[in-house]
Amino acid sequence: MNTVRTLGRTAGVLTAAGAMALVATPALADNHTATVSVLHAVPDLPVDVYANGERLIDDFQPGTLTDPLELPAGDYDLALFPADAPDGSGQPLLSAMDVAVPAGANATVVAHLTEAGQPALTPFVNDTSTVPAGQARVTVRHTAAAPAVDVRAGGQVVVDGLTNPNGETLTVPAGTIPADVVLAGTDTVAIGPADLTLAEGTSTVVYAWGSEDAGFELAVQKVSAQHSAPSGVPGGSAGLADDAGLPLPVGAAAVARLVLAGAGAVRLARASR
Amino acid sequence: MRPAAATAVLGLALAVGAPTAWALARPDAAVGPPVQRVLESPAAVPPAPSGAPALPPVTTRDAAPVEASAARPPVRLDLPGLGVTAPVDQVGVAGDGQMALPEDVDRVGWYRFGPAPGADGNAVLAGHVDDREQGPGALFPLRDVEPGAELVVTDAAGEITRWRVVSRELVQKQVLPLDAIFAREGPARLVVITCGGPFLPEYSSYRDNVVVVAEPAADGTP
Repeated sequence: MNTVRTLGRTAGVLTAAGAMALVATPALADNHTATVSVLHAVPDLPVDVYANGERLIDDFQPGTLTDPLELPAGDYDLALFPADAPDGSGQPLLSAMDVAVPAGANATVVAHLTEAGQPALTPFVNDTSTVPAGQARVTVRHTAAAPAVDVRAGGQVVVDGLTNPNGETLTVPAGTIPADVVLAGTDTVAIGPADLTLAEGTSTVVYAWGSEDAGFELAVQKVSAQHSAPSGVPGGSAGLADDAGLPLPVGAAAVARLVLAGAGAVRLARASR
Repeated sequence: MRPAAATAVLGLALAVGAPTAWALARPDAAVGPPVQRVLESPAAVPPAPSGAPALPPVTTRDAAPVEASAARPPVRLDLPGLGVTAPVDQVGVAGDGQMALPEDVDRVGWYRFGPAPGADGNAVLAGHVDDREQGPGALFPLRDVEPGAELVVTDAAGEITRWRVVSRELVQKQVLPLDAIFAREGPARLVVITCGGPFLPEYSSYRDNVVVVAEPAADGTP
């Protein structure tokens, strides 16, 4: 899985998943910027999000997602304050210092609860590689205050034993899938069922979030990914539209006329003797 | 002139003239500008990186799962000038990775993973040119279509869109510009494809694709 290990110092009154080193995806590498989205998945806790001391998102509501932000590559100090606190004052609820955002990365930073119910900031690297024709990519991420879960599609387990804060990526035929989340190894439904539309040539991230008290929910994020064209267009097996050379009737008639001309010439030659 | 001489001259004239006339009358391999040039719209210019790392404005939205709004699929294609009218089926990708086509050569497939006709990008319609058992297909006359010809697409709600042919080209399958043809961005275009060129009996298949690109007719409103 591609969550990121800590490598910086953490601060804040609550646990925070330290600093983050985001792995660059070469396919979309750009020299100057990174693509970062932020998902708020801590129930009942509107926040303001600050980056490098500047307010980035005002009054960020649980269950909402930012559109992808093109951020200049560099190090960021992130902090989340209660949304109703005066700007720039008080103790942050969560913070992460010196978050490395390398050029070309595509990541989602998720504010969520740990399995034990503590708020945390976790960066996930998004897979933006090309999706095969006819297929869709779906990534499921466990960011809920819950133990291990299985993810089912149409009643079949497709991801088993997923734990917080991890994810798993699948490539599936494009379409709409009835999905639900159950406690690992059981039929006890925790979330869903919900119909997930996985459009062809796209990459979708589905987050299980929430808590026992606040309820468990799904959040859906579309990640930019390149679709593929089919490998060709077939189209015909009889040769009726063949235009390689003379069609047979035209060719045959020409030969017949040559014979006729030859016969005429022979008669002409004989007659002139 | 003696009858024998007349026979010889007439025979020769016909032997040479008929194939020549055939060659002159056959459709050109390509008319209009090259398909690839038509399809390649100028790439979007990425914004210049700003010097100071300023934070961009942020928009947020609900992350709850939503029902995808289904595009209205096309159900019929008409080329009035060539007497073509064909029902359109929704198709995807075949097991071999190629675009799937309706088995019935009288029907045309719309690549349902790409744009619908009229949406941004290229709506791709394709059909078999012929079949050993079924004979010529609905798109058999596509190789004769000329720039300026009208195509009419009817969608599932009965709305019609009118298209004007810009270009027709015979392109070898190996070098078919697939990414350009199946592009999902850029101006709305209609790309109609079938097979053509020399038939290769050893592969039971044609060497080329006939590719026709059309743009919305100026008087496109029904």
